[in-house]
Amino acid sequence: MNLLIPLSWLRDYLKTDVTAKTIREQLSLCGPSVEREEKRGEDTIFDIEVTTNRPDAFSIYGIAREANAILDWQKAKTILVPPSGIHETITPQTKQLLNLEIKIDTKLCPRFTAVVLDNIKIAPSPALLKNRLEACGIRSINNIVDISNYAMLELGNPMHMFDYDKIHEAKMTLRESRKGESLHTLDGINRKLPEGTIVIEDADRLIDLCGIMGGENSAVSSRTKRIIVFVQAYDPVKIRKTTQTLAFRTDAASRFEKGIDLDSIPEALSRAVNLCKKYAGAKVASELIDIYPNKQKNISIELSDSKLSNYLGIDLKLTDAARILKSLGFSVKTGNQELVATPPHWRAADVIDEEDLIEEIARIYGYHNLPSELPVGQIPQEDETDLSRVIKLKTALKYLGLTETMAYSIIPADWLKLTEIKPQDSVELANPLSSDWQFMRPSLLVSLADVIAKNQNMRTNIKIFEIAKTYSKNGNELPIQELKIGIVLQNSNFEQIKGIVENLFEVLARPLVVIARSEAARQSSLLEPSLSAIVNSHNKEVGTIGILNHKVAQYFGIDGQTAVAELNLSTVYQLPATSNSYHPIPKFPPIIEDVSAIFAKETPVAEIIKTVSEAGKPLVKNIEILDIYVDPKIGKDKKSVTLRLYYQKTDGTPTEEDVKPIRESVLSALEKSLSAQIRK
Amino acid sequence: MDPKVAEVLEQAEKIISSSQNADQIYIEIFGKNGIFTALAGEMKNISPENRAAFGQSLNAAKQQIEKALTKKRSSLVVSRSSTQSIDVTAPGKAQKIGHLHLVSQAIEEIVDIFKRLGFTLQSYPEVDWDWYAFESLNMPKDHPARDDWETFFVKSERSAKYGQQVLTPHTSNGQVREMERTKPPIRMLNISRCYRRQIDVSHTPMFHQFEGLYIDKKVSIPQLKGTFDFFTENFFGKGRVTRLRPHHFRFTEPSFEVDITCGVCMGKGCRMCKSGWLELGGSGMVHPNVLRSGNLDPKIYSGFAFGWGIERTIAMKTEIPDIRLLYQNDLRFLEQF
Repeated sequence: MNLLIPLSWLRDYLKTDVTAKTIREQLSLCGPSVEREEKRGEDTIFDIEVTTNRPDAFSIYGIAREANAILDWQKAKTILVPPSGIHETITPQTKQLLNLEIKIDTKLCPRFTAVVLDNIKIAPSPALLKNRLEACGIRSINNIVDISNYAMLELGNPMHMFDYDKIHEAKMTLRESRKGESLHTLDGINRKLPEGTIVIEDADRLIDLCGIMGGENSAVSSRTKRIIVFVQAYDPVKIRKTTQTLAFRTDAASRFEKGIDLDSIPEALSRAVNLCKKYAGAKVASELIDIYPNKQKNISIELSDSKLSNYLGIDLKLTDAARILKSLGFSVKTGNQELVATPPHWRAADVIDEEDLIEEIARIYGYHNLPSELPVGQIPQEDETDLSRVIKLKTALKYLGLTETMAYSIIPADWLKLTEIKPQDSVELANPLSSDWQFMRPSLLVSLADVIAKNQNMRTNIKIFEIAKTYSKNGNELPIQELKIGIVLQNSNFEQIKGIVENLFEVLARPLVVIARSEAARQSSLLEPSLSAIVNSHNKEVGTIGILNHKVAQYFGIDGQTAVAELNLSTVYQLPATSNSYHPIPKFPPIIEDVSAIFAKETPVAEIIKTVSEAGKPLVKNIEILDIYVDPKIGKDKKSVTLRLYYQKTDGTPTEEDVKPIRESVLSALEKSLSAQIRK
Repeated sequence: MDPKVAEVLEQAEKIISSSQNADQIYIEIFGKNGIFTALAGEMKNISPENRAAFGQSLNAAKQQIEKALTKKRSSLVVSRSSTQSIDVTAPGKAQKIGHLHLVSQAIEEIVDIFKRLGFTLQSYPEVDWDWYAFESLNMPKDHPARDDWETFFVKSERSAKYGQQVLTPHTSNGQVREMERTKPPIRMLNISRCYRRQIDVSHTPMFHQFEGLYIDKKVSIPQLKGTFDFFTENFFGKGRVTRLRPHHFRFTEPSFEVDITCGVCMGKGCRMCKSGWLELGGSGMVHPNVLRSGNLDPKIYSGFAFGWGIERTIAMKTEIPDIRLLYQNDLRFLEQF
């Protein structure tokens, strides 16, 4: 959260000659960050980011306190002066005391303070208050309203001023709202309140939306003569819930949400009363009301010398550490090897253990003043994980000519429909940002198809891949999240995608077998059923390969035929990799012979090779497919296949006598088992 | 020289000078039915006392023929090349190389740098339990990040022990998981997709973070600084250093914001960076409650952790104006890197 700090106002409490530049630098290095600064006439305004754990620094005085401690350690001359009146005890000044009947639920409001002031003269605020409020972005209204905002900015405690005479029967009940209640807030809006909102009711109506904004009906106006100054703290969780439900947050609410230091409340009340006396002629007309049943605890924390130097990496004297803590308001007892520190009440919620103390000491000392060294511990021995293996795989694909894409893992409902996986079987978001970001994708192919569609007007030969996790529902367990690779080739065919997959398996050093999908097997609806196949390795199914389903192509508006493959790398990496071992190089050259034959079109090439391999034993050591072609001249449902056979012997070059019987066995096997027509 | 040998030598020289095919010449002379092969075969018809002389002649002839043949081969090459002309400035026929995504390139570099410090890349779930993403990290139940305004929740059954399933908003969900996987010393790098319910000019609902976790005995803030300086110098360039400023995270104590010196002015201050420093990301010493969540005794062990956005780190290095470009997958963008 950010706040604006006019330097002139800061210097009311931070008495030092140090320049604005130094204050800014030192604050940012050791405390809350000064993100920006602006000039406003003669004055400089700092825009400071205060982290949520430091509500004590979310005020002018809080920043002055921080800066004072930081500059003090830097040996600059500096004194911290508190706002006048904060320690004044509130005693009645009028003869007739005004009453207030208060009933509160202390669970909702852990501390409730109030006092009634009489003799109020409503008037415009003096220039000093006006200018400072405006520098901080708050509009000036009148002296009383302005004082409540001024004190809030100054000390961090939000407060409210009620017109005493508008409180029916001087009764105030602080409770949770019931169903159907509503309130006209100060800004003129009639708000319907959700059940359980913290509110104040007088004798017969709601008068305050606690912690957020006062009611119109109890507000201070130009005719107000008597006021209630009201400083309190609320249950932060409830306030936050209300601001979210109503989608309405104020400066006061932001502070209540972070939690208020209960022990700072009397000081804020005293300061407000002091300002009201000074600028509105106020006289205290009641006893101080202070309902504070459960006092904030003050704990002591022990920090050992050794722990401190372990963290700092240097030896800092305990006395120096104690000095730093004291300048921050801690009370410290120093021993020989440890110190015991008690945080001041404004830090009680934030500083709880040794590490918190170490942080206070180290940051004021200055992290930038600590040395820089590399870790010296033992290096753990770890196996390589899939994610780092994948880096090599990506590089190989790059050099094979493919480009890597990365798409969002969250997809629209329409894309899920293309996969034919039902929403109840998928990983669905309960609170999507929009219908475009609703399901976790079960396949990479839909995202890749989208990339093709978006780029096809500028490229005709797109070859892309993505490696990422996909998500599938796993009952009540966490979804199955496996690493997949999706490859998509624009304007392509099965032969080309299979070629890439063959290269991929060479890089992966695992065996590859592509087999036809059986009729009964579940189709991947993303692939064209008759043009898709299963990818196996070591007899395990590891993926699918084929042509993108025309329905998907149509949905994305892709022209032309798209060849795709999707493989499960998590599975593949668990399979054993083949390692290369030495095979003696043949001493004698082989006899190489080509065989051409005409087969029925549906005869799988794998079967042809298998038949030749069997019949060619023991001489045929290698079989290559030279050519496969289809031509109406050789027959409508026929194809011609040319094979190259390598006849090899270890003890010599095979002679015609060696080769002839094998050759005949091969040709005869082709003719008999596969009804081939051998071509001469 | 033996007259038969001399005759074959003359024939060989004639073959060499008349043919333009070096392989053919070789076959005619030294092949199965070559003239020299036949001549060498005559050895068995020579009487034993004349074999030595015959052999010598054969060798001499062979050497001469081979010399002539070599000369012939060279001249054939020369004559071939002197009839060709090439334009050396015309483009060559190169293979078309693809491109890795910028995020992968950054990941590769980051992994490589941290590998040298003994950090290993681990992988942890993106859809994880609330417990690992928040509660184990000392974030109380009502912390703003845990409500459904900022974090994506998954439609699923609530686990009694682990709470709801969420899309992790940071890689820190890997911290306690790592402590469960192995005992210290721990040097872990976790790079993963993260998700936050936010979309505007500088935020995408999905982004990448890289997280480092170092747990050992007596881990100090200077070691944190040293690790960051090592990374920034290697990733961004020589002379680039880091500095720490106070910040707040629930899972670290002390917590820091990490800045690096601006690459343009090297820390002096300029129009680009104003102060000389650019924000890199957050870090801190692992909070004792987080160590306890991982069943480690904070009296014995301490550690540091950091989590930085990869997109931001990339933008600082390559000057990409809008990080959404990274996920639009326009090939004209991807092919630039």
